[in-house]
Amino acid sequence: MEKGQKRIDAEKNFSLWLVAAALMHAVVIFLAIYLQILDANRIVKPKIVSVSIVSLPGSGGSFEVSAKGGRESAPAPEAPHPAGSKKSVGVKEALPELAPVTPKKEAKPVTPKKETKPVKIKEKVPEAAPAPPKKVAVAPLPAKAKPKAVDKPADITKTLERLKQNVDKKMASSPSTSAGSLNNALARLQQKVQSEGHPVSTGSGSGKGSSSGGRSGAGKGYGGGGPSAPYQAEIASIIMQNWEFSKLLLKNSYGMEVYVRINILANGTINKIVFDKKASSEYLNNSVKKALEKSSPLPVLPKQEGTGDVWIGFVFTPEGIEK
Amino acid sequence: MVDSYLGIFGLLSDAGPVVLFVLSVLLSFSIVSWAIIAYKFTYVRKSLSESRAFLDYFFEIYNVDKVFVESEKYRKGSLPRVFRSGYVEYHALGDKADIRQLRVRIARAVNREANAESKRLSSLVPFLATVGNTAPFIGLFGTVWGIMTSFHNIGKAQSSSLAAVAPGISEALIATAAGLAAAIPAVMAYNYFTHQIGIIERDLEEFSPEFVAAFINEP
Repeated sequence: MEKGQKRIDAEKNFSLWLVAAALMHAVVIFLAIYLQILDANRIVKPKIVSVSIVSLPGSGGSFEVSAKGGRESAPAPEAPHPAGSKKSVGVKEALPELAPVTPKKEAKPVTPKKETKPVKIKEKVPEAAPAPPKKVAVAPLPAKAKPKAVDKPADITKTLERLKQNVDKKMASSPSTSAGSLNNALARLQQKVQSEGHPVSTGSGSGKGSSSGGRSGAGKGYGGGGPSAPYQAEIASIIMQNWEFSKLLLKNSYGMEVYVRINILANGTINKIVFDKKASSEYLNNSVKKALEKSSPLPVLPKQEGTGDVWIGFVFTPEGIEK
Repeated sequence: MVDSYLGIFGLLSDAGPVVLFVLSVLLSFSIVSWAIIAYKFTYVRKSLSESRAFLDYFFEIYNVDKVFVESEKYRKGSLPRVFRSGYVEYHALGDKADIRQLRVRIARAVNREANAESKRLSSLVPFLATVGNTAPFIGLFGTVWGIMTSFHNIGKAQSSSLAAVAPGISEALIATAAGLAAAIPAVMAYNYFTHQIGIIERDLEEFSPEFVAAFINEP
């Protein structure tokens, strides 16, 4: 009788410990998950706040394409912005007109500069001089913008709004001068193109300077303008297939971007790989390089791209390729 | 997004049924092991401390009646239990048996209780040894199965990129990690308990004749 009671007590005691152990496991598992989430949140919230690109009406990026590619872009509806008609400084030219109107503070986060970045990467002809890659390099621009963004993120949005208002006012107040500057810019563009001997062909282009620019003038040492979008998409998918990369192996994927340009010969061979901006992870950089090397030779350039070579830019992020 | 927040735990959402089954088995092993560890730890510690205190009192007094009264305070000690069983036998026989018969009967009762106490002490402990020995293999089985499935899927997808291979292997390796997490404490606890139980059993062997002698020599 006494022994039976002892056994029951012992079993009860053990059951209590069993429940306690189950609770302990539950707590440990929840703690582990919670810590993972905390850790993930800490990574997700970086100290540096990235400034989003705000597109002002009528970016002048298309003129870059037209200057090189021999095709004129369709003029954007807004007059002052297309004024930028020189190749890489298309937007910069438009800004001096705004400069007197906008205070210095506001000039820093001027977004059209940023907006032109991808266009430069994709379609700029780097062989002309070593200078273009410097312009293409995008690292310094966000670096300048970031400290401000960290300190006064609200100020930036206010500043941008003020800038927009100023631009609108300017447009409203002096439509004639804007139109005049546009005409001047177009005239300058035509002169420049004629002096360089490129055929000025008419064609349609987007107002944002998309990569659907025309062909390059062959035999002048210039590479091609931006190749056609289907061709870009095709090679992007090929590179993506050859890209062996797992973002799980990156502890922190913030700011992991690789800006790279590739020079493609007419037969599809990748002639040059230029890193405009490398990521802090050598693994990502190497994986991009390997993917590009593995992808060569690419499909032969389309006939409309001409017999010359072309430069195409890509932005590799852990999430994939951004063209 | 949630998966990336959960990290390794997020991978489990993609795990196959076999891997999940293996993980649940290992989890239950771990829970039972820890329950045994906690239960046995308190049991053995109490048994050892009460046995020591009882022995001190026994050698100090050497009067079985007084010692028996004192032993009631140490109900969870192994040596007091053995002594009580001998005392009960001694009182049951009274003056009916001669000394030789009395010695044999008391010795038998003491040995029986010593055996029972030894069994009580070592009960559930072999489960720890089982977990310690088998959990890594069960985890390994889950890993092998997970990698098999992973390679099968890679073959289907016709892609050997790291992005395709790594998550499957990472997910499969969780099973091995879980197996080791269950086995390591179990093995450590098993070694500790076998050592402590060995000490108590040696005490039982050593002091059982002393108890018998104490009853016989009682005037």
